[in-house]
Amino acid sequence: MHNLGRAALAAMMIVGAGTASAQITTVVAPPPRKNEPAQQAAAQQRERVVQDSVARVTMTGMKEWVDSASAALAVRPDTVPTTADTALGTPRTATAPAPKSDSSASARTSERPSEFRDGSRAPNTATPIPAIGLAGVLMILMGVAMKRRERTARARVRR
Amino acid sequence: MIGRLTRQRLEARSAASTAVIVCGALLLIASATSVARGAIARDAARARWAELEAERAVAGAKLSTGGTRWSDARGTPVARMTIPRLGLDEVVVEGVGDDELRAGPGHMIGSVLPGDSGTSVISAHRDRHFHALGGIAMGDTVVTESMRGRVVWTVSRIRVVRAEDSALNARPTPTLMLTTCWPIRYVGPAPDRLIVEAVPK
Repeated sequence: MHNLGRAALAAMMIVGAGTASAQITTVVAPPPRKNEPAQQAAAQQRERVVQDSVARVTMTGMKEWVDSASAALAVRPDTVPTTADTALGTPRTATAPAPKSDSSASARTSERPSEFRDGSRAPNTATPIPAIGLAGVLMILMGVAMKRRERTARARVRR
Repeated sequence: MIGRLTRQRLEARSAASTAVIVCGALLLIASATSVARGAIARDAARARWAELEAERAVAGAKLSTGGTRWSDARGTPVARMTIPRLGLDEVVVEGVGDDELRAGPGHMIGSVLPGDSGTSVISAHRDRHFHALGGIAMGDTVVTESMRGRVVWTVSRIRVVRAEDSALNARPTPTLMLTTCWPIRYVGPAPDRLIVEAVPK
């Protein structure tokens, strides 16, 4: 009986030690330390810098893409004619676009819908100006007619 | 009582007729302003073209051999086009946006200049610069002058397409395409496009 009690005590110690060990390994996390204001500001600054450099990389990529796209099109006339041109002109080739310092011009060009491509539509040359003018003339005529009728009616009322 | 009602009706009619006249006048003014702005822009384009020609003359060189600094910025003159039989004589500006088409026929960006290998597209409003284009006929002569030199063209094809049709095709050989709205005499946005094609003589 006494031996049984010892054995039970030993078993409890072993199991208890195992459980305690498990508790120690699982309950680890100490409460997070609060950053000092100076440290927080530094962290924010680092984050901002990282974001800035990411944005800069993206913009640079866009510019290169736009430049390469405009170079691939190679349809704009050279701004400064070369002496090699003949009277009827040398065909502009796709491999020799004029270098453009103004990248905004090429960006603007790529935005425009009315650029020539194989199979493109004719430019929209429709204008509402004649219709607006005609509407104006018709309205004036209508107003004058209304005035006349009104005068006639006034004269009838007076009589 | 009846007299008062009648008077009120007459007053209302008078006010309505005045309002209609004022609105009509405003529309007319808007239309006239647009036309006037177009005329001013056209004069400016012609003046700039004259300057370019003068520079070229001073340089004592051909258009294509330097001396004159040509610009391909939107709205700047890039060519001069004449159709002698129709009495059409216009300075072509770069671009086919609203501002450019107000000043004159526009050279469609992305197409070559007249005289280069490929398709050169020039467009204009039917009620302004290309009004005479309604009278074009096969075999008519078109003359263009640009930094690529002077080219004489012969009209080889005339067709009318729907506005949404993909009608402008790139050609390997020098081709001039003149486009405007069709019908020429049409009130409101015209549904079709007139396309005149010409090849060098």
